[in-house]
Amino acid sequence: MQDRLHILEDLNMLYIRQMALSLEDTELQRKLDHEIRMREGACKLLAACSQREQALEATKSLLVCNSRILSYMGELQRRKEAQVLRKTGRRPSDSGPPAERSPCRGQVCISDLRIPLMWKDTEYFKNKGDLHRWAVFLLLQIGEHIQDTEMILVDRTLTDISFQNNVLFAEAGPDFELRLELYGACVEEEGALAGAPKRLATKLSSSLGRSSGRRVRASLETAGGSGSSPILLPTPAVGGPRYHLLAHTTLTLAAVQDGFRTHDLTLASHEENPAWLPLYGSVCCRLVAQPFCMTQPTSSGILKVQQAGELQDWVRVHGVLKGTNLFCYRQPEDTDTGEEPLFTIAINKETRVRAGELDQAVGRPFTMSISNQYGEDEVTHTLQAESRGALQSWMEALWQLFFDMSQWKQCCDEIMKIETPAPRKPPQVLAKQGSLYHEMAIEPLDDIAAVTDILAQREGTRLETPPPWLAVFTDQPALPDPCSPASVAPTPAQTHSLPWGRPRTFSLDAVPPDHSPGASHSVAPLPPKRSPQSRGLCSKGPPHTWLQSPV
Amino acid sequence: QRVEIHKLRQGENLILGFSIGGGIDQDPSQNPFSEDKTDKGIYVTRVSEGGPAEIAGLQIGDKIMQVNGWDMTMVTHDQARKRLTKRSEEVVRLLVTRQSLQKAVQQSMLS
Repeated sequence: MQDRLHILEDLNMLYIRQMALSLEDTELQRKLDHEIRMREGACKLLAACSQREQALEATKSLLVCNSRILSYMGELQRRKEAQVLRKTGRRPSDSGPPAERSPCRGQVCISDLRIPLMWKDTEYFKNKGDLHRWAVFLLLQIGEHIQDTEMILVDRTLTDISFQNNVLFAEAGPDFELRLELYGACVEEEGALAGAPKRLATKLSSSLGRSSGRRVRASLETAGGSGSSPILLPTPAVGGPRYHLLAHTTLTLAAVQDGFRTHDLTLASHEENPAWLPLYGSVCCRLVAQPFCMTQPTSSGILKVQQAGELQDWVRVHGVLKGTNLFCYRQPEDTDTGEEPLFTIAINKETRVRAGELDQAVGRPFTMSISNQYGEDEVTHTLQAESRGALQSWMEALWQLFFDMSQWKQCCDEIMKIETPAPRKPPQVLAKQGSLYHEMAIEPLDDIAAVTDILAQREGTRLETPPPWLAVFTDQPALPDPCSPASVAPTPAQTHSLPWGRPRTFSLDAVPPDHSPGASHSVAPLPPKRSPQSRGLCSKGPPHTWLQSPV
Repeated sequence: QRVEIHKLRQGENLILGFSIGGGIDQDPSQNPFSEDKTDKGIYVTRVSEGGPAEIAGLQIGDKIMQVNGWDMTMVTHDQARKRLTKRSEEVVRLLVTRQSLQKAVQQSMLS
């Protein structure tokens, strides 16, 4: 049976490759080939690795590759269909309305993703001392582009899952649909829970008779594989970790805002699922979009502008239409040198543009006027293009801009900032996480040096400053941190500030800082292994800049 | 000192004609105007010539305490900038304090 599956798999791969070749779509073909190779690599890695964490990472890569392959295949099929339709349906009656205006594309970036959790108190009392852990990651998809976040280990000391990634989609239309999927898997071997289906399978297979039993067993093995159709891309190892879809949601242009928003999650799994996590049911994120019409100049050329109010005074400028402004520079070179434009004409949703022979410009052909309303006044600029063709192209550019603004709506009010994502750190070998409470047996009770050495080895160079909790032992005031988390109970002697990024609220199980002397290993749980990135107000540490801005 | 500035229209923007520095998220020791180097308030770092701010009497080195009634002593740099550049407001009324004013107040208190 396994052989037959292998043959089917190979045939499928061949089919996929053939489709890509026949379409002569080199870019998609290249991407598909890349994913197929990545997939093979991930399969080999999965078969070879021994540690659970490595297996989790490899399985995640496998899942991402599978999803990407499926989406590329879907895209290939769509393009193939479109090609076929174009070739066959060429009758005059079929030609539709004249080419409609299509909106410009843009960049879409989602960052600061945070999913709150809701632990029930039974979770604490049920498995005391045994820290149940999960590996989770997000899959984000627009069209056929799929991106994934890093994998994060979650246990009951965390109140939410925070991803530090900035995920950027380079080209998306205003009608984009960003599908967000949360996958999770148990870190520990799925002992008793996963054993049940397998035992059931062996029982079934032995009682049903050999051939049918084997078929049932095979289908049980491949079912529940990483979310994709099992026959097409079966998961290789049965004993390996399995990711389950925990929740999903879809975000569109309406959700875009230059700030944080909370969206509802559709939960997809239930308590019997071994990888089930108590999700609160929402996700917070910052979803921004930068349409290209805002960031790139859409039109430029020589214009003569009539000074508002003076009939005969026309100024020759180099106009550049970018975003919601028409910048008028003295010379074309000024755009590059960073010189301020002579003046700027605003173009927004309320601007009115007229072309043709105007009263204000008697005797001057190829003119257009742009009017804006400022409070009670109306300001009109009259511009003259160099030729009829130039006027046409300016009008066209302006109409396109108005169309884009109507499509991209709130994204055109102001340019939303997109931070360039930091280069992805190579996946580190995960040390088993847990609080110091569980793992470190510090024999010499008061040996601070031993503690810091162990920590330093584990964390590498992340602890630049001596951790503030050290002050607990040396009776020195902790370094003042501009943002000490409000939730850590302030103990009398020293308020304990934590050395990492976003303030974390600690749930019941987290060990509070214990100031009693002699209790050497009661310190706060280990900071997450990600190095804190500066985000927002609280996490920068002492500020090093003194910015100045013009107003 | 109360200063009233009428914003000038320049293209799409309403500008005031000065620059600000400071904020609770900034490093106050780099502030050249403050006497107390831990002061994280908003200071005027530059005044454009002939701009609305200069005409209204704003001076470089002034510390801005309030803008149209909004407090500016405990804000981040970006919040301060936003409060000054609200598009819906044509006029901003600032409450500022100056070294010379501070000294005058101190002297009158001592005498």
